[in-house]
Amino acid sequence: MSNLADIILNETRQIIENKAEVCPEITVESEFLVDLPMDSLDLATLIVTLELTTGIDPFRDGFKTFHSIAELIALYEGAAV
Amino acid sequence: MKHIMVTGGSRGLGLGIVIHLLNQGYKVSTCSRNKTTAVDDLVNNNEHVKWFQCEVGNAEQTATFVKSACEWAEVPLWGLINNAGIAKEGVLATFPNVESDALLQVNLNGALYFAREVLRVFLRQNTAGRIINISSIIGSRGYTGLAAYSASKAGLDGLTRALARENGRRNITVNSIAPGYLDTEMSSTLSDKKRDQIIRRTPMHRLGTVADITPAISFLLSDEAAFITGQTLTIDGGITN
Ligand SMILES: NC(=O)c1ccc[n+]([C@@H]2O[C@H](COP(=O)([O-])OP(=O)(O)OC[C@H]3O[C@@H](n4cnc5c(N)ncnc54)[C@H](OP(=O)(O)O)[C@@H]3O)[C@@H](O)[C@H]2O)c1
Repeated sequence: MSNLADIILNETRQIIENKAEVCPEITVESEFLVDLPMDSLDLATLIVTLELTTGIDPFRDGFKTFHSIAELIALYEGAAV
Repeated sequence: MKHIMVTGGSRGLGLGIVIHLLNQGYKVSTCSRNKTTAVDDLVNNNEHVKWFQCEVGNAEQTATFVKSACEWAEVPLWGLINNAGIAKEGVLATFPNVESDALLQVNLNGALYFAREVLRVFLRQNTAGRIINISSIIGSRGYTGLAAYSASKAGLDGLTRALARENGRRNITVNSIAPGYLDTEMSSTLSDKKRDQIIRRTPMHRLGTVADITPAISFLLSDEAAFITGQTLTIDGGITN
């Protein structure tokens, strides 16, 4: 798994655990707002944190749709090249 | 100690807010396009305040200011006062589009860019927070010759209500304060006739002062105001009654 994928998985887990929630098993197929105990502000927190840790902002030029962890990883890997 | 950010703190209401918040024990960062001697005096005599040059309405400069101010403060950011604003008068039929674009860019987009950056800080900090937008009674009442200004302030109140809903679950409150006519540089262009008319129509029989507004700011920033959000507080000596 790529470094970016690791970072995204770890940050996601961290945000869930910070809410004092038991983190369910996270796979790349997990959908943020469906399978994980996350709301839209948690997702915003994740994006803001990722921008800070990776220096990458895939949303600079506008909205891009994603639902699952795999889709978000693809966005970051696409923006990193 | 808590850090509060005030836009447009070089004179008028913004400067009054900065001084008031310093007296209340806050650490205050502020910005404007130009430095004034009043700001210079303040900064030279108080280590808890810092001025930055920043053009409100410019997204990049906003992000840079918020980052630099947070690094300077070294304590968590607690609040944003979106105060910077401009007013230009003229009937819309002959009001140049470039002028209304510029006004909306500062008064509405400028406040929105600031709110965005500050909300990102609140999320990163994982803390509650406060946003106070300085609106105007003109936003709800309208005024001949102030169509763009009125639209910008009505937009600001809409922003307040939406952000209050969006961020309430993080204990972040968002409110507007809508002053009536204040005795600042912005209102200095009022003709004597208009000024007298406003004073006659105001139950308190005077224009507002900066000191009439600042106590409401510190109240909305306080823990006592934790359940007040999405509101527009009118402070106008009763003129819109
Ligand atoms: N005065 C009134 O009667 C009245 C009534 C109701 C509401 N309000 C509202 O209260 C707020 C403050 O008004 P005021 O009377 O104190 O106005 P003011 O005396 O004209 O001061 C405006 C402040 O905002 C700054 N500013 C303006 N445009 C800016 C920009 N693009 N970027 C950065 N800073 C900018 C100015 O500094 P620079 O010019 O150096 O940038 C100054 O510090 C405004 O939002 C206004 O709409 C005023």
